[in-house]
Amino acid sequence: MKKFSILLLTAATLLSMTLAGCGNENNAPAANQGEKKEKVKIRIAYWNKEDSVKTLLDLVKEKLPNIELEYQFIDNKQYQNIIETQLTAGAGPDIISTNPYTASRYAKLGYIKDISELADRYNDGGKNVYSVDGKLYALPGISWFEGMFYNKEIFEKLNLKVPTTFDEELALHETLKQNGIKPQAMGAKSWEPMMKSSMGLVMNDFLSKSENKDFDVQYGEGKTKLDGNWNTALEQWTELIKLGYLTEDMLGVDYDQALDEFATGKAAMWQSGPWAVEAIQTKNPNLKFDMFPFYGSEPGAGWLIGGPGVGFAANSKSKHQEEIMQVLDLISTPEGQQAFWSDNKGGSSYLKDVEFEMPEQFASVSETLKAGNVYAPWNNWGDASNVIEDYGKNFQYVLSGKMTIAEALQAIDKKTNELIQGKAQ
Amino acid sequence: MNTKMRLLKRELDYQILILPVLIFYVLFCVYPFFSTFYYSFTDYSNMKLDNLKFVGLDNFKGIFKSDLLTISIKNSIIYAILMTVFQTSLGLILAVFLDRKLKTKNILRSMFFLPAVFSPLIIGYLWSYIMSTSDFGLINRAVTALGFAKINFLGNPDLALYSVVGTQLWQWTGWVMVIFLANLQSIPKDLYEAAEIDGANSWGKFWRVTLPLMQPSVNVVSVTAMIGGLKVFDIIFALTEGGPGNSTQTIMTAYIKTVFTEGFYAKGAAFGVVFFIAVMIITMVMMSFLKKWGEQTR
Repeated sequence: MKKFSILLLTAATLLSMTLAGCGNENNAPAANQGEKKEKVKIRIAYWNKEDSVKTLLDLVKEKLPNIELEYQFIDNKQYQNIIETQLTAGAGPDIISTNPYTASRYAKLGYIKDISELADRYNDGGKNVYSVDGKLYALPGISWFEGMFYNKEIFEKLNLKVPTTFDEELALHETLKQNGIKPQAMGAKSWEPMMKSSMGLVMNDFLSKSENKDFDVQYGEGKTKLDGNWNTALEQWTELIKLGYLTEDMLGVDYDQALDEFATGKAAMWQSGPWAVEAIQTKNPNLKFDMFPFYGSEPGAGWLIGGPGVGFAANSKSKHQEEIMQVLDLISTPEGQQAFWSDNKGGSSYLKDVEFEMPEQFASVSETLKAGNVYAPWNNWGDASNVIEDYGKNFQYVLSGKMTIAEALQAIDKKTNELIQGKAQ
Repeated sequence: MNTKMRLLKRELDYQILILPVLIFYVLFCVYPFFSTFYYSFTDYSNMKLDNLKFVGLDNFKGIFKSDLLTISIKNSIIYAILMTVFQTSLGLILAVFLDRKLKTKNILRSMFFLPAVFSPLIIGYLWSYIMSTSDFGLINRAVTALGFAKINFLGNPDLALYSVVGTQLWQWTGWVMVIFLANLQSIPKDLYEAAEIDGANSWGKFWRVTLPLMQPSVNVVSVTAMIGGLKVFDIIFALTEGGPGNSTQTIMTAYIKTVFTEGFYAKGAAFGVVFFIAVMIITMVMMSFLKKWGEQTR
């Protein structure tokens, strides 16, 4: 029996040591006392590869010699899960990358710190989505946007011009179809492209009207519905399906296959964003392409779907608040934005008075960007913002003819209601 | 001390060896299992672990009201039944066929088994290209070359689930075949000789000799296929992500969506509990059915 007790004790001690080790890892005193200067080690976690922030990290190394900024890549599919587990345990990275929805959740739960002292430096467009009750909780990073890439050679050959209205866009599709060219490729197997394509017209014809300025916020609070409001715009958008430009076939095609179709010139247009440029150029270095935005019934600058990309937030439980603020302060300078942008070309900065020269692939969206017409409705849907997945999935049913617009919108409203009520519990 | 106690004491020394594994098993398996039950009765969402409130059966009521659960249960059941029936029967046919004296026997066996060694994610990626409706889709290129219309395997809500089943059968039937082959080789040849003397034809030999003696492996295969079918996730994730619409959502994909996309941890836990009970009942019913079948054929 004695032997048993000793073994049990040893096992328990070993286990407790292992567990204690796990727990301490994140809270370990960061300073390396052996070094000349006291260098404080802080950690930043992000769902994009290190390459996408390399210049920024180098800048931090150069400008803040007192700080050792450790970069931690966590795959996007696991990101939220891992970060939330760490935050629940009172740990987590010092600088947390978030999206607008999670930032507001973390802010309400007290996991991230009010960083309003840096708010004045940013434009409203960027800081609004990362603010809760008027206080800023994350720095809006470089924006992302999505529009319609088009093959310049095909357009020139058929004498086609960039449209200015949705009707012109339909006519463009028809000409391409008549000439035996697939008008647009779409990887509708994912729920995202249909969601974004349909919202493009809604932004032009409904959301941009002054009387609907607060629509999205109210929708997120459950005070209004999509059904009854978005129908007219979306019915018009379904012309793309009725006229056979978006087809059920596309539900069997994924993002990579659609990219292939566009890059190899099999389709004249493809809806995507700056992140796809490199992949297109790798597939076909000779392809000449540009991008135009989503258009509505009236001529105008059009709209791109998008918004502030990543937001950088400060972990309120971190022991290195001062150093975190030094890094965030550096990011909030024109130099910091330039460094971040240089690995994310195409997006724009929300820092006041900072503008970048756009790469040639985005010449036709320059007016849209200048007008600030970049918006993603769900960023303002609060607790209901996750409903976009259901939105996209119901629109897949619209494409396959199994649902009407009204039925799809009703199903989405029902799910939104479930989400809002569930979160309020 | 009596003999029994002495024996127990001696054994205890050896059982100590399983202690490390036991500790990890309890920590990472037993504890999460019971905590899932606990959380399914609380309002655990939004990462708030403190001040959890007991909400009774609210989470269970919530999931039964959601359309997602209804459709995912339906899909999971269809999927599991199809997988069980076809995997078992096709595996059996293959095994019996490849148990004969064929020159290409070994090559054929390896060919049918090969897909089972790949990760479902690779299989999913591969087949999403093979079944694609884009110009890169191998099958549809053949179909259109023959003058037929394209088949929208993964994009047609009525067809997508069956396309996934087809892919899974392609991957796992060879594996089932190997289990059946092992069982077939353990059947004594003299039983077949005796059956021949009694005037049995090939069908009679299969029905009266092979099948009854294959019962142990049929049991294993059909129960694992049923459980595997009910908890399928990876191949669906790789091929369709639950779409188009919700037409290929299964219990596991719906569970992951509820927990990780929507952040309803308690509702997800309730989902898990319902799933656990359902699988337990289905397996018990199946086992008792297979037991009866075994007794009848004996």
